[in-house]
Amino acid sequence: MKILTCPLNGPRPVSEFFYWGEVRPMPDPAAASDDEWADYVFNRNGAPGVKREWWCHTPSNTWFIAERDTEKDLVLKTYFYPGEE
Amino acid sequence: MPWRLLRFALNKKHPEPRMFTHHEKLKSSYDVVIIGAGGHGLAAAYYLARDHGITNVCVLEKGYIGGGNTGRNTTIIRSNYLTPEGVKFYDESVKLWQDLSTEFDLNLFYANRGHFTLAHTDSALRTMRWRAEVNKHYGINSEVVGPEVVKEAAPMIDLSCAGHSPILGALYHAPGSVARHDAVAWGYGRGADQRGVEIHQQTEVLGIDVQGGKVKGVKTSRGYIATNKVLCAVAGSTPRILKMVDVKTPLYIHPLQAMVSEPVKPWLDPILVSGSLHVYISQSARGELVMGASLDPYELHGTRSTLDFVEGLSTHMLEMFPFLSKVKVMRQWAGMADMTPDFAPIMGMTPVEGFYLDSGWGTWGFKATPVCGKTMSHTLVNDTPHPLITGFSLDRFRNFALTGEKGAASVGH
Amino acid sequence: MRLPASSGEWIDRSKPVEFSFEGRTFKGYAGDTVSSALWGADVRVLGRSFKYHRPRGVLSLANHDTNALHQWGDQPNVRADVTPLVAGMTLTAVNTFGGLADDKGRFLGKMARFLPVGFYYKAFHTRKLFPMWERMFRTMTGLGSVDLASAQHTTPKAYDFCDVLVIGAGPSGLSAALAAAAQGADVVVVDENAHAGGSATYQIGNDTSRRRLLAELLAKVAADACIRVVTATYAAGYYKDHWIPLVSADRMLKMRAGSVVVASGAFEQPAVFRNNDLPGIMLASAAQRLMYRYGVKPVSKAVVLVANADGYRAALDLLAQGVSVAAVVDLRPAAGSAEPQAKLLRQAGIEILPGSCIVEALPGADGLCAGARIATLQADGSPSAQIRDIACDGILLSVGWAPAANLLYQAGTRMRFDRAVEQFVPEALPDGVFACGRVNGVHELERRLADGTRAGSHAAASVGFGRASGAALPPEAECPSHPWPIVDHPDGKNFVDFDEDLQFKDFRNAVQEGFDNIELLKRFSTNGMGPSQGKHSNMNGLRILARLTGKEPQQVGTTTARPFYHPVPMAILAGRGFNPERRTPLASRHDALGARWMPAGAWQRPEFYQVAGKERLACIREEVAAVRKGVGLIDVGTLGKLEVIGPQAAEFLERVYTSNYANLKVGMTRYAVMCDESGVVIDDGVVARLAEDHFYFTTTTSGAATVYRELSRLNTLWRLDCGIVNHTGAFAAMNLAGPKSREVLATLTGLDLSAAAFPYLALREGEVAVSGGKIPARLMRVGFVGEWGYEIHVPASMGGALWDALMTAGKAHAIRPFGVEAQRLLRLEKGHIIIGQDTDGLTTPLEVGMGWAVKMTKPFFIGQRSLAAIAKKPHKQQLAGITFPVGYSGAVPLECNLVIDGGDIAGRVTSIAFSPSLERYIGLAFLRPDLAAIGTTVSIRLTDGAMVQAEVSATPFYDPDNLKQKEAA
Ligand SMILES: Cc1cc2nc3c(=O)[nH]c(=O)nc-3n(C[C@H](O)[C@H](O)[C@H](O)COP(=O)(O)OP(=O)(O)OC[C@H]3O[C@@H](n4cnc5c(N)ncnc54)[C@H](O)[C@@H]3O)c2cc1C
Repeated sequence: MKILTCPLNGPRPVSEFFYWGEVRPMPDPAAASDDEWADYVFNRNGAPGVKREWWCHTPSNTWFIAERDTEKDLVLKTYFYPGEE
Repeated sequence: MPWRLLRFALNKKHPEPRMFTHHEKLKSSYDVVIIGAGGHGLAAAYYLARDHGITNVCVLEKGYIGGGNTGRNTTIIRSNYLTPEGVKFYDESVKLWQDLSTEFDLNLFYANRGHFTLAHTDSALRTMRWRAEVNKHYGINSEVVGPEVVKEAAPMIDLSCAGHSPILGALYHAPGSVARHDAVAWGYGRGADQRGVEIHQQTEVLGIDVQGGKVKGVKTSRGYIATNKVLCAVAGSTPRILKMVDVKTPLYIHPLQAMVSEPVKPWLDPILVSGSLHVYISQSARGELVMGASLDPYELHGTRSTLDFVEGLSTHMLEMFPFLSKVKVMRQWAGMADMTPDFAPIMGMTPVEGFYLDSGWGTWGFKATPVCGKTMSHTLVNDTPHPLITGFSLDRFRNFALTGEKGAASVGH
Repeated sequence: MRLPASSGEWIDRSKPVEFSFEGRTFKGYAGDTVSSALWGADVRVLGRSFKYHRPRGVLSLANHDTNALHQWGDQPNVRADVTPLVAGMTLTAVNTFGGLADDKGRFLGKMARFLPVGFYYKAFHTRKLFPMWERMFRTMTGLGSVDLASAQHTTPKAYDFCDVLVIGAGPSGLSAALAAAAQGADVVVVDENAHAGGSATYQIGNDTSRRRLLAELLAKVAADACIRVVTATYAAGYYKDHWIPLVSADRMLKMRAGSVVVASGAFEQPAVFRNNDLPGIMLASAAQRLMYRYGVKPVSKAVVLVANADGYRAALDLLAQGVSVAAVVDLRPAAGSAEPQAKLLRQAGIEILPGSCIVEALPGADGLCAGARIATLQADGSPSAQIRDIACDGILLSVGWAPAANLLYQAGTRMRFDRAVEQFVPEALPDGVFACGRVNGVHELERRLADGTRAGSHAAASVGFGRASGAALPPEAECPSHPWPIVDHPDGKNFVDFDEDLQFKDFRNAVQEGFDNIELLKRFSTNGMGPSQGKHSNMNGLRILARLTGKEPQQVGTTTARPFYHPVPMAILAGRGFNPERRTPLASRHDALGARWMPAGAWQRPEFYQVAGKERLACIREEVAAVRKGVGLIDVGTLGKLEVIGPQAAEFLERVYTSNYANLKVGMTRYAVMCDESGVVIDDGVVARLAEDHFYFTTTTSGAATVYRELSRLNTLWRLDCGIVNHTGAFAAMNLAGPKSREVLATLTGLDLSAAAFPYLALREGEVAVSGGKIPARLMRVGFVGEWGYEIHVPASMGGALWDALMTAGKAHAIRPFGVEAQRLLRLEKGHIIIGQDTDGLTTPLEVGMGWAVKMTKPFFIGQRSLAAIAKKPHKQQLAGITFPVGYSGAVPLECNLVIDGGDIAGRVTSIAFSPSLERYIGLAFLRPDLAAIGTTVSIRLTDGAMVQAEVSATPFYDPDNLKQKEAA
């Protein structure tokens, strides 16, 4: 089983983690058109690549970011969410 | 024994021609370029040629015919979906399936076994009834049955599921079938080939030439092809192609795994699916038990296997069929499923003129192979979506008008 | 026949073991496998082949003799070649019709001409007849049978760690282990055989120095405290991050290794010639295993077909064990490095025929091997017409090897075809994975030892033990595998895949039909798809395809290797199973009261309480009546119970729920709806304000875990100054409801329960008296069921005491516990929806009449922007109340029956029940908006197709002005 490193708990088997998906910055709801908003809600960057993803270590309910190559399933690094950049 | 086998004995040389012509070179242009020689791409090529007389067509395949999800899937064919759009569409497919072996003169092992979706909770039973009612409305043979009917069809089942999740009833769908996946691709491929379509294996599409919002050509690992129409039928690779044309969709890729046992003598006729235990099983013509479960939990563009998958699947399988304890699992594998938020496909035209999409087939698209070929070829020729696929347009997301098929597609495939 | 006892053999001759096969009783010894015992008892036919039902004997004795599959009681497909003999075993061959000797399936062999590769695709497919043919196919193809009456077999699972896992305890694996251990690593060596030693236990070449070498190696390993040797266990697969299931007869051990050395050796490969499957023809290594491990004489008089030095050594082993060798046939022009062995053989009077091949094995009257037809090879590699027959009862094949690289492939190794050794070898290994020995293309014994030492050292160093020493070895001096050990024959029966009975011509014909790449070929011909998964057929299949298409093996490539290395029983994979089930602290009370349980997510909840002698429905109706007329008590402890605390707690709730919470007064509660980003309703509950900066709120039972998780993420994302706590399991909760609830509660608390002091929707914290003292409680004047009532939350450990106190205090008013079913009906009377039942995966709050709870004017909540877009479009459906007339005696729809209008689907019933309070059937239904006006008659189609009418009605059906909850009754 794959091992993922929780920034709080260290390396743990992936079965202890919950995957949420890629970090997607939300557009300003007031400024976004309906189309732009629908794009944000539904569309995804489905192509493979290195992505910033939300993961949660469920036993400790710790959310963090993993940078992962979604083609090789290789986690480059994990860290706590640093806030909007 | 069928007389047709006689010719094999009477001929000194094997009396069979090539199923697929080998073409040394790509032409410089085609009327239609189809990306992906899975069942869908080949079926579209077949109907383009057969129904519309369009034969200046090439199908480009980066690997080999049927080597994508077509050749990995667990081949459940059914039409007991939930939405009217889905039910009508899959019903048309089932009708096409029934005569396909004869049409191809190729045995697809299309075996009508009957399909049970087991309900272990009253809310599941409610969803089953909803599906049954919608199905019946469109003339499809589905009904909610009690546990006793399940027991009759599969007398050996432990209805209590080891006491954890008793089976309260099921959705029974008599038309449920399985087929030999590879043969489906071969049949469509041969049929298209015989009508003049070129199938090019080991030919990867690397880019799509779009100018002024219109498709102009395709860049491949064997050179450039000019064309005005491209059909993308690449299942798990769809997002890679979409990147080439800069079309945004909700598609996301998760692996779907399956496993197969060593062959054993036939003991199971119907196809059984348990949404609560997240597993399903059927027995192939070779006697192997073909088993699967739900989608892997995270995005991955690869086909690695996991141990947790076979462990979990075996656990739940033994809850229903404890006597399988000593049956051995021979092989496990995975495919990349192109998922959508509402579990309905994404088909039809796109914002790029001449770029057509047959995607979002996730874990459930094998059964749709014939009808996709039919409707996509129609759409390509008429440049307007076939009436059966209007509910599956990419636009539905922009319009917040999803086609909610999750209740019928998640584990059922 | 058994050989005289020899040192190092694996059988214990002092322990005879009796067993039966095909109805006859045999004797073997402890330590035998089924095949070795049968072969030792001179049984030559161990099974029948899959397609033509040809008799088959021993092939490999290495777990791919898949024609010798036996049924042992409830165990199908027992592999006779490797399954340890057990006293009292009763075995039969699978896949026979009427027994092994008399198999009626034999006739299929005669039909072979009619059944070329893929024949089943070419016929049997008329729509009418296919079902019949399919049934026949299934009966013919399935191998063993499952015993439908057998019970589940549960096995334990074990977990372990090591620094270096060495897979394969042959010479290279053992030396890898020693090297890694010498650098300080904790090493585990695993081997599928009953004893360590690998090929060194049988590839002796009658050379005592080889035996000594192995003994020394084993002694060193045994003496090394850092090495654990695990035998009779196979590494079933390689999974990400060195996670390897080690499977033995009765369990799976999941090993997490720091690094992995794959020293899994090679499978000896058969030569292809006509009748190469006759019993008596086997791989040389199989014969050596029989002799040295099991003391069994493989054949009496052998022809040995060789293409490497291993074959010459095997011939010497035969001689040493008293087997006469009729001839050694070498596919090569000369013995090469085996010249010393060849010399010894010649001295013993053995004829060596270089530059020759076997074109055909000759069957005797009994169908067993009776001779070999030998031809010299011509310059182009094909046999000449000059043939010569040599009588023999066995042919041993030693023409080459295929790496047991399955695990390497699974780990993601890039392999390259190396012409120098005629096999695939690792070209680029993934991090932490190492290979040595034959799987690495290193065959000569001394070199295997050196290669192992190198790999072991590197593996240890990769996890921080010592320094990596040793470099890859120079290429092998002599090729151990023949590039073309294949002879075509006009009459066929030259088998490439023994599992599937595939002959050479099947490949040619498949290629002719266009199946000319390795994957298509496999799929069309089924080469390698049988139980041995190509262990003895993939390599020759690849050679044939390469030759037919004029390609190099490297270009042809291999099919994908997937788990498992050997098949694994489902019981071993399943283990004991784990089905956690949650119960509230009140579960024992419910049991004592006769609760009938139902699942609710991970929880079990009382559906209703069984009263002796009464029907389910009667019980439920009594529970309902108690709540409406007196008082009832329901366990709602499964609700999610969360707190959010901090200066921005209100702001947080404003963003996650659709309603306003900033203006909620301390001590008050408010209904709460949660949407996802697309505006779909996903959860509901009640928010209570305990203090300015402190809220307590509930979620649905099934939503608790996901809501908590997602709220935690949002809080991480937004970085508001507040924290969320999940109290779901920490609190017990129950709802005391009914006109008498206040009276009951009053006996237990000093709180002022007057409507003025504790109004509807208020929350109070106070104490409740229970037996033995007072407990702190949170009380909320809310209720799903629409009566005066209190939802009381107390620490979980005190839940039982509170329940008992309320039940006791309620006796005077005939209090009844009520279950989920009664609650469902009570809430339906109030027109309250259940998320998931009266909504589905696409329902917005606007469609279910919850617009009042959706504050579009506040700055932001999740789903708001989508709802704004959706609100501009016409609704597709509207949830509405429906009723049937009082006294209605017709058939009643079920939940999910459809509403039909003008022949089209126009909605569906989501909830329906008989309301005892209203004495009529009431329900909720999704309707096309134009049908949703109150007073409209809608048609509902029953399950049997009949139509019934219902009237669209206002909700709540019961107590529409909520008077019951606001004023004392
Ligand atoms: C384990 C598993 C079980 C399943 N079970 C079922 C089931 O029981 N019932 C059911 O109905 N469905 C099932 N499915 C889903 C079904 O397999 C797929 O939806 C369906 O096969 C898709 O067919 P396709 O022809 O669109 O795609 P594929 O068969 O995947 O074909 C796409 C082809 O495109 C090629 N390609 C990709 N990129 C390029 C490129 N750039 N250039 C050229 N070629 C390219 C690929 O190599 C591939 O051959 C299952 C799927 C999996 C993985």
